[in-house]
Parts: sequence; C-alpha cells; structure tokens
Amino acid sequence: MIAVERNFDTPRWQRIALPIVSLVIAAFIAALVLAASGHDPIATYRQIYAASFTSTGALTATFVYATPLLFTGLCVAIAFRMQVWNIGGEGQLYMGAIGASGVGLALGGWPQPLLIVMMMLGGVLAGTIWALLPGLLRAYLRANEILTSLMLNYVAGLFMYYLIYDSTSYWRDLTSPTALVFPQGKDLLPNASWPGIPIGSFTLPFGFVAGAGLAVLLLALIRFTRVGFEMRVMGDSPAAANYAGMRTKRMIVAVMALSGALAGLGGASQIGDFSHVLDPRGLQQAQYGYTGIVVAALAQYNPLAVVIVSILIGALINAGFALQGPSFPPGLVGTMEGIILFSVLGGEFLGRYRIRIGRALQQTPAVGDASGSLSVDS
Amino acid sequence: MTDKQGGGALFRTKDIVRSSIALGLVTALAAACGSGATPAPSVSAASAAPASAAPASAAPASAAPASAGASTAASQWTTSHPFKAAFIYVGAPSDAGWTHAHELGRLAVQNAFGGRVETMYKENVPEGPQASQVITQLVNQGANIIFSTSFGYQPSMVAAAKQYPNVLFEQATGTALAPNLAEYFGAGEDGDYLSGMAAGAASATGKIGFVAPYPIPEVIREIDAYTMGARAMNPNATVRVVWTNTWFNPATERQAAESLVAAGVDVLGDGQDSPTTGQVAEAAGLKWTGYDSNQESFAPNAWLTATTYNWGPYYVKEVTDAMNGTWKSHFYYGGLGDGFVVMAPFGKSVSPATQAAIIAKENAIKAGTFDPFTGPILKQDGSVGVPAGTTLTVMQKYALNWFVQGVIGSPKG
Repeated sequence: MIAVERNFDTPRWQRIALPIVSLVIAAFIAALVLAASGHDPIATYRQIYAASFTSTGALTATFVYATPLLFTGLCVAIAFRMQVWNIGGEGQLYMGAIGASGVGLALGGWPQPLLIVMMMLGGVLAGTIWALLPGLLRAYLRANEILTSLMLNYVAGLFMYYLIYDSTSYWRDLTSPTALVFPQGKDLLPNASWPGIPIGSFTLPFGFVAGAGLAVLLLALIRFTRVGFEMRVMGDSPAAANYAGMRTKRMIVAVMALSGALAGLGGASQIGDFSHVLDPRGLQQAQYGYTGIVVAALAQYNPLAVVIVSILIGALINAGFALQGPSFPPGLVGTMEGIILFSVLGGEFLGRYRIRIGRALQQTPAVGDASGSLSVDS
Repeated sequence: MTDKQGGGALFRTKDIVRSSIALGLVTALAAACGSGATPAPSVSAASAAPASAAPASAAPASAAPASAGASTAASQWTTSHPFKAAFIYVGAPSDAGWTHAHELGRLAVQNAFGGRVETMYKENVPEGPQASQVITQLVNQGANIIFSTSFGYQPSMVAAAKQYPNVLFEQATGTALAPNLAEYFGAGEDGDYLSGMAAGAASATGKIGFVAPYPIPEVIREIDAYTMGARAMNPNATVRVVWTNTWFNPATERQAAESLVAAGVDVLGDGQDSPTTGQVAEAAGLKWTGYDSNQESFAPNAWLTATTYNWGPYYVKEVTDAMNGTWKSHFYYGGLGDGFVVMAPFGKSVSPATQAAIIAKENAIKAGTFDPFTGPILKQDGSVGVPAGTTLTVMQKYALNWFVQGVIGSPKG
C-alpha cells in the first residue's frame, strides 16, 4: 500500500533549496520536450534569457507583465495563507482600475504627486469594497467565498463593459473620432501617468516599486505584529483561533479587505503605469487575477517570494511572445510554463510529505488532516 | 486544513470557472435585453467624418513616410538580407476563422517572395499595454512592416508609428492614419447581406439567431446587413442577437449559440473568430452561415455560406510596395468588387433558386448598382435610419450604431 505522510521536520535550508532544485528539474524535463520537438534546448534557453532580460527593451517589457502579477500574487498570497480563498483578484483588479481611472479623470488638474496618491487610494478603495462583499458573506453568513468572489469577477467585468460600451458613463470617451467607431475610455491627462524610474535604458514601473515595498511591509505585518500572529494562528487552524478567543470573523473580513486592496492597487497601477485609460478588453484578456493564483502558489504564499516569482513569470510570458512564431508554436511555451508549475508544486509536496510504500505507520496524519502545515514556514 | 486541501480548492476552481461562464452569459443576456434607454451618439455626428480618417476616395496621397522606404529598392532585399514582415494576431491561426484568414495572407506573402521576405507572427496578443511590448519586440527583431489585425491594437500602433518612424505600420479595421501608418479592411457587410439572404431562405420559421462579438459599429453594420438580406428573402424574418464580448472564445461562443437554439431559432449566423456556432447548429440539425474563412468542413450539413476575407493579395501588394520604397499611407476599404471580400462556396442545402438570387445580388454589388445601406432603411423602433435615395458613406458605416428593423436585441451590448 502507498501512504502519504506529513513531514513535520522540514529543515529551513530545504525550503529554499527545494524550489531551486525543482526549477532545475523542470528545465531538464522541458529540455527533453524541446529536443523531442526538434528545438535545440540550450539555444532556446539562451533565447528565453535574452528575450526576458538582456535584449533591447526586454527588461522593461518583462516588468510590464510582472507588475500586475506582483499585485495579484500578493492579493492571493495573503488571503490563501490565512485560509481565506479569495479567487476574486481578477474582479478586484478591474474595480481598482475603474476607481483609479475615475479619480485620475476627475482630479486631472491636481499636482502630480497628490494625484498619484489619490489614484492609488481610489484603486485601493474600490478593490477593498469589492472584496468586502464576499468577505462579509463568508464571515457572517458562511457563504463560500470561493464561489462568491469568483462570481463577482464576472460582475466586475460586465460592469466595466457597461461603463465603456453600454452607457454614457463618465469613463467613456464620447467625442473623439475613433470612439465613434469603437467604444473606448477617456484618456487620462499626462499628469496622471505614474513616472517610471529610468535605470539606463530600463524603466522600472513606479507600481512595481510600490508593490515590492508593500511585500516587505506585509511580511513584517505577518511576522512581527499581534495581528500577524493571530492571522498565522487562523491560517494554521481556524478552530484553534476560535478556541483561543480570537475574533476570527473580523479577521476574515480584514484579510479579505487587505487582499482586495492589493488587487485594487494593481488595477490602479495598470491605469497609472501603463494604459492610462480604462480598457475592458485589455484588462480582461490579460487575466492577471487568475495568473496571480499561480504566482502565489509558486511563491508558497510568501510575500517576498511573490516579488521574485512575479518577475520570473513576467519574464516567461514576455519571452513566450518573443519566441513564438511559425517555427516555435506558442503551445510549446505553454507546455514549458506547465512543466515549471508542476515541478515546483510537486517538489513542494514531496518536501512536505513523505510517500511511503509498504506498511503505513500508525496514526499518521494523512493528507487533508486538519493538522497544521503552514505554521512551519511562518 | 492542510496545504494539500488548499491545492485541491485551487484545482476545483477550474470547474467553477467553467460553470460560472454560464451564469456570466445569462447576466450578459439580461443586459443585452434589458438596456435600451441610454442615448447614443447619433449618426449625424459621425457624418462629420474625422479629419484624420478620410475615406478611401480621399486617401491622403501624402508624402511617402520618412522610412527606409524612399531609399529602398526591391533588389536590396536578398535571402541573406530579407525584408521582414510581421503580423500580430488576436487569436491563433488555428481558430479556423479571422486569424486563420490572416495566416493564409501571411503564407501568401511568404510564397510570393520566398527567401527574400521573412515573415513572423505573434498570436494571442492581448489588446492592452502588452501589445506595445510585442510591437517593440518585433521592431527589435528587425521588422520592416508590421500588420496588426485587431482594432484594439490601434492605440499601441499609433504610439509605435510615432516612436519608430523608420518602420511601416498597417492596422486592420481601424481609423487612425500617420505617414507610416495605414488602415485596411473591407466591406464585410456586403458579404453579410448575401449570407443573410441564404439564412432567410433557409429559415422555415423566420427565426434566425446571431452570435455577435462586441457591440461596435463593425459588428452592428454586419448584423444590419445580414438582417436586411434575410428579410429580402423572407420579409418576416427576425434576427436575435446574443453578445459574447469576445472575438475568440469557443466555450463562450458555444454557450451563446446554445442559448439561441433554446430560444427557438432554426438558422444561426455568427461574427466570431471560430466556427463553434456552426458545430452547435450541426449538432442541433439547424442551418448556419459562417464568417471569416471557409468553414464548411466543421459543419457540412448545417453549412450555407460565409463572408470570407481574402487578405493575401492585399498583403502581397503592401509588402511589394514597401520593398520597392513606393509604399504610401492609405485607407483601404476593399469589397466584393476587388476580390477582397469573397463568398465561400454554397452548402448542398442551398437551392438553385436561392443561389441564383444571391449571385444576382452579388453581381449587382460588384457592379456598383446595389449597396445594402441604401435608403429607405427603418431602425428597430420604426424611425427612419437612412432616408430614401441616400446611401451611407464608408465613414457613416464605420460609425453605425443602430439596428435595423427585424433585429431582436440591443446594439449596445
């Protein structure tokens, strides 16, 4: 018989080494796939590296993808770690974009630093409100937040379409010639563009710097504050938290609000850093909210790791566009992404659990047992 | 709970996503049927045609772009130093529809020039800030001319044209022009009128359904023409519209088509990038008109005909001009007449009489004696859309935002 057992004494070095070894294994498996499909693996990896980081404009492009993933990754990481399953990052990002672009349009004449702060607040507020809906429903009515937050993604998406396609809303451009041919949002004034930080030919988006700073703050919050401690207990065992007299309902609402605020800020960054207009199709086609779940999972819900993983996934998406062509089908890029995800998550699983073939020990906590596991890495 | 359960929950969301699409669609349907009160910009506003987007007849013969163009001669491009033409696709060439038709165009270029031209393409490129990054990549990879094949790329193309004056840009279905940025598309609505005739003749109940992507003038005028064609054959025919808010998403297209089948239509049409609607029609034993490409093989029994776009000759001409240094910015609007729009072969169920009627109209359009958008045309509410004796100009068609009589649904999504 085969038994899966919890590995309780994971050493610290293993938690760092494991993802790296998993990545190497993923690279090896992907190399086999590449070779089997008639592509030189070494040359392909060189191309990926160049397209992601070193060729002209590549690093800037990588961060265009990485920045929103940083925010949605943090959104998921903070919620999932506390066992609050917020799948609504996608919709919260839309709402953040709506809020930030509304503020940016309304306060276009304000001094730039103040305007940027207001746009961020607009995004945060909108994202928070959108996340509070499923948060309150979960905390006080026990509605499954996976379903409610997911459904609200579609509501937010349709609301965004309503604003641009189906109404004469404040966001919609009703005057320009192109808007007559294809409904579009009003462009924000140049004032509302968040200034990138130029480093040589590379431009570091302002939003990414803000997101990385937030990641550090979040880690500090979780590790060093009382609230963080309570969150960790709740993440390990909601029952224990309840028993210890912690206000778990409030905690769920707070975590949901924080999670939504991060996604909302990601929406604000989409407007301020990149698009400067509310663009429903662009936001919806990108699917940053859902990809954020992948980012958070790869980062094992650690905020600092989210920063690094968002850059790596951003690089991979960016390289995916550079590589694809008649001789390199994009399906191959997707296959490589899948192999990496599978290896890293598989490696994490094998690090946490032992697979024993033969007789099982008595009373071992099986997979799915209520005993904690997240406590180990916090 | 442990991590494993977390992982399990994550996995389950996939099923939830799938099932929730249905709910999203129902909401979309409700929105499509419910709205109708908001005032929309009138057509008359559009007739003050945008200065930047002159119709074909008044195409700016402005100076050749400040591109490599002026100094290039065709002989400059060799197999060791090929001319590079790049294409940006919103879907995948395997979509069997819109992008597939562009891919045939790209292959036509490759076949026409052999090793002297290197073609590249990027597929599934989102229509947002990412598009700018992909354009930059293509420029860095040495692209001499870039064709972008969806309207949503226009802002990125306009910005890129400014940023890279030595590269030529061509935007399909758009309106913006610059010395190194051209526009190209064709009168798909003329073809849709003919498809609509086939649909109207095939419908026993007079109830036709249409799976439509975005509530934008390009799609609205196609639905209008389709409806007018259907009513030319079947005066009481109605066309029920369901919006999908996507160009290419077979799952959503399927749900939309099935909702129309459930609503009791007996012929389906679509303006989507994939032939999914046809597969639904085939399974339900209904008839179907396709779009973009010849999709007969996907639904051989349902198949009636389709409006298809023949991008190849246009792309070959543009690349030739660019290689010769004779490329000029322009606003190209092709049609049935010049072979840009082509009707796909008729399905076996289209009767000889219907075929004859359609071919007669097709010849009239080619000869310039018939335009579907010639008045009198009544709007959905019975008011006059186009007065008798008037024909809409290209720019008026580009800004058309109302449905004709016979359409069931809202032109505002």
